[in-house]
Amino acid sequence: MTAVTRRILTVAAVATAAVLATAPFRTVHAADEGKSGPTLSAEDQTCLACHGQEGMSRTFGKGESVSLHVDGHAFAASVHGPLGCTACHSDIDLSKHPGSERSYATARAFSIAKAGVCSQCHEDKAKLFAGSIHATVLREGNLAAPVCTDCHGAHAVVKGAAEKNIPCRKCHKAIYKAYLQSPHGKALGKPGAMKAPVCADCHRAHDVSPASTSAGLRHACLRCHKDAVQAHQKWLPNTKLHLEVVSCPACHAPTSRKRVDLRLYDLTTKRDVTAKEEHVQLHGSSGIDATGGTPLDSKTLSDLLRGVDRDRAPGRITLVGRLEVRNGVEAHELTDKSKAIRNCVVCHRKGAAPFKDVTISIIGPDGRPIRYQAKPDVLHGPRSVEALSGFYAIGGTRIGVLDVLLALALLAGISAPIAHLVLRRLLRKNRATQQGTDARDK
Amino acid sequence: MRKLYVHPLPVRIWHWINAFGFVLLILSGVQIRYSDVFHVMSFAAAVQTHNVLGGVLIINYFVWLLFYLFTDKIRVYHPELNPAKHFRGSLRQLWYYGYGIFKGQPNPHHVSVYRKFNPLQSMTYQIVMILLVPIQFYTGVLLWDVNRFAASIQMFGGVRVVDTVHVVLFTFFIGFIFIHPYLASLGHTTLAHFKAMITGYEEVEVEDEPGRGEPR
Repeated sequence: MTAVTRRILTVAAVATAAVLATAPFRTVHAADEGKSGPTLSAEDQTCLACHGQEGMSRTFGKGESVSLHVDGHAFAASVHGPLGCTACHSDIDLSKHPGSERSYATARAFSIAKAGVCSQCHEDKAKLFAGSIHATVLREGNLAAPVCTDCHGAHAVVKGAAEKNIPCRKCHKAIYKAYLQSPHGKALGKPGAMKAPVCADCHRAHDVSPASTSAGLRHACLRCHKDAVQAHQKWLPNTKLHLEVVSCPACHAPTSRKRVDLRLYDLTTKRDVTAKEEHVQLHGSSGIDATGGTPLDSKTLSDLLRGVDRDRAPGRITLVGRLEVRNGVEAHELTDKSKAIRNCVVCHRKGAAPFKDVTISIIGPDGRPIRYQAKPDVLHGPRSVEALSGFYAIGGTRIGVLDVLLALALLAGISAPIAHLVLRRLLRKNRATQQGTDARDK
Repeated sequence: MRKLYVHPLPVRIWHWINAFGFVLLILSGVQIRYSDVFHVMSFAAAVQTHNVLGGVLIINYFVWLLFYLFTDKIRVYHPELNPAKHFRGSLRQLWYYGYGIFKGQPNPHHVSVYRKFNPLQSMTYQIVMILLVPIQFYTGVLLWDVNRFAASIQMFGGVRVVDTVHVVLFTFFIGFIFIHPYLASLGHTTLAHFKAMITGYEEVEVEDEPGRGEPR
């Protein structure tokens, strides 16, 4: 071998070795072949030198750990790829990293804290989330509630994750299972005139609120089923009232168990009464302990309402009733409309099942309803005329004392004429006899 | 006996539409309210029947109202404004129904074209036609579309108040629907007044003609 040849071979070997050694640091392209996709900066590549390695993790108390591995390809291809690592991890000082980070008690606390950075750019969504039931539950200390990264992912962030991945099913398993059996679930992914709704279409993605505290769910159904009002008007009397008072699943999940929820409502402000307003205490103001577990009866309820009304002067408090499904899983057991309840007497009959479970509710300080059990006869006692002025299901919640009045009217109406007639007949015979005697005497 | 034309055709038409209409309203109303114990028609059919008949009878009411407003026959509905006369007449009629009729005494009231109602009838019909029936129709209309009339219903204190008024009046009309035909059978024959409400002619005693011996 000549000296020149030896030199060429040496250069080639070194070059090859250099290429192989720097393989992890080579430019990362987008997954699409044949296209030049987004690239990561040299800074990001520095991070990935360590965080690109599989198996890298951080350990917390109780042996929990969080993977610190980042899929560089996926991150580069995601919506956050152009932002780079430091957009979210600006707190990292490379001169002291690793080793200088805050410590966290648990893996979950770490994940939740890291997700806090999202609100720096996504202020609007953070604000929506802050008012949600998820945020409320989180603030109360239930760390199982989701934060941004639980739905959107931490690095390969997905825009519109609620629609694409339906992350809700990770926690709400039973409900998702019920949903899959419904016409909505069965239509998922299938072509059709309307796109099948997923959780976020009805419950919203960020400002998720307790299902029973807003009219949002009612409007969600009607947003897609635009002809529902007209379709019901063909056969259902007082359609708009029904749609206001009866939740859609109450009829469209026909096997579900129902209850009447009577919500404290302020007629002056036209809003549900909330317990966070300082003067309102459902049990304190009238000295009645509604939390003791004893179901409220008519008298207690009337006293309670008067007490609440006094505290909120000037205002007029009443109870607005709504027929709803007892639990979330059953509320998702929707069926084809041909199987929906159309028999009026399911409700409009004395002793109907939906009226056997009655709760009184008030919106609590955290936005969730606080429920108190009530005796079913609050729906049809005489005091209900005042206390439940806004809730009445004809025939199903009729006031019992009026039945007594009707019985008396029937009795009087039938027996008075019969008695009068009988007396006339009896006395006519006597009169005929007397007239005969008088004629003979003459 | 001679015949006196006391019930003009519009009145007779109005009366029988009202009679059958109210009976059907009562039956359908009972079906709606008491579906747990009463089964003559489905709840849905009862509501439909009740709504349609309600509308028919409201129109029928205006037949009665317009007839009497635009004819001189309105005199039969003029109330007796003299309290003493009214009290005396009512008591006399009450005495007849409660005692005199059993003794074979004659009816103190004599029918005439402009005085076809006895004092008790007159008072009852004024209350029924001018107060009770309009209130029943009004509450019925409110209940027919609770959402549309929400503001009015709220003004009265809520749907339960409106429904209670409707049901209390229904209770009265149930009593009325038995007592009214019975009292109608207390003519000189059982069917006399029924025939009069079909033909328009009441048979009166010759000496009972207007101006002759009418009690004052």
